[in-house]
Amino acid sequence: MTEMFSTLFGQNEAQGPPGSSSLGFGPGKPPPPLPQNQASMTGQMPPQLGDEGPALRKPGAMNEPFYLLRELPVGNELTGNTNLITHYNLEHAYNKFCGKKVKEKLSNFLPELPGMIDCPGAQEGSSLRSLIDKPPVCGNSFSPLTGALLTGFRLHTGPLPEQYRLMHIQPPKKKSKHKHKHHRQQDPLPQETPSDTDPKKKKKKRDDDPDRKKKKKDKKKKKNRHSPDHPGLAGSQPNSNSLR
Amino acid sequence: MAEKFDNLEEHLEKFIENIRQLGIIVSDFQPSSQAGLNQKLNLMISGLQDIEKCRQQLHEINVPLEVFEYIDQGRNPQLYTKECLERALARNEQVKGKIDTMTKFKSLLVSELGKVFPEEMVKYKAIHGEDAPS
Repeated sequence: MTEMFSTLFGQNEAQGPPGSSSLGFGPGKPPPPLPQNQASMTGQMPPQLGDEGPALRKPGAMNEPFYLLRELPVGNELTGNTNLITHYNLEHAYNKFCGKKVKEKLSNFLPELPGMIDCPGAQEGSSLRSLIDKPPVCGNSFSPLTGALLTGFRLHTGPLPEQYRLMHIQPPKKKSKHKHKHHRQQDPLPQETPSDTDPKKKKKKRDDDPDRKKKKKDKKKKKNRHSPDHPGLAGSQPNSNSLR
Repeated sequence: MAEKFDNLEEHLEKFIENIRQLGIIVSDFQPSSQAGLNQKLNLMISGLQDIEKCRQQLHEINVPLEVFEYIDQGRNPQLYTKECLERALARNEQVKGKIDTMTKFKSLLVSELGKVFPEEMVKYKAIHGEDAPS
């Protein structure tokens, strides 16, 4: 390979001015033009010489008068010319996500999840990003709590302080229905559906009469009082012996 | 595949419901609720065990990190899918436009060169006629 270069530029030295600048390596001087008889020699240059594209064709009469004629790149069947969504059978997905309006809030995606999930997780320190940045300790096995360990979970009786109450439990949105009477009359919008996990409450979606609403609220309050798991949720009800 | 997710989803729903009930018990605690509380705590631990078992089936699942940003902002993660598809389609159309433009340019160039260098273009077409044209 170096012999080719020396042959090429060695002949140029004889023609041009003396010194390395005649080879074109000096600053500010353009390389001298190659004479005509060098064209065939450059055609014989191996393709490894700084050739980044397709391989050069072998010199021969078939390529004349073309110089450095490259082969066309191998055609790829899959290009941007094809509708890639159709190609990968994503039409259904496209129509599902882009054809209809996708609701903005997270609670629309997870309606059954309790708690205030539409708030940014970073505010409460419960972001997924923090889980990635500081992964929790894994690998330890989960073992049930024994009697001795459970003694640490003996709580004081009475309601929680106000700032902790209902912190992570979103009140059922049905209770706030009376605030949205104008929506109620037109049929409730899906995003106003409460995120309550009680399956019985999910079935109820229409309430036209305010009297009917009040009766339903009373029934719910009675149910809450008598339920062992709901010892006065709102805290406004006096502690009763109804648990027993 | 969907069964793995269904299994995990079921366990998570049960776990979350258990935690919710635990919160209700704690919000207004009574001495008689202690047994129930203890039961819920152990149920929580067994729920974690069940979720841990589901993990082995899902170790091949990859989730893009950008989805986590949507969830952390309280936004619907389906919006991420929607935006991905829209971006893919827009990019597809953009590239298609470039390909069409380059194809038109090539045909125009070949025709004009054919007018100026007819003999050379015949030779060129003869050479490239051997290769697979794009």
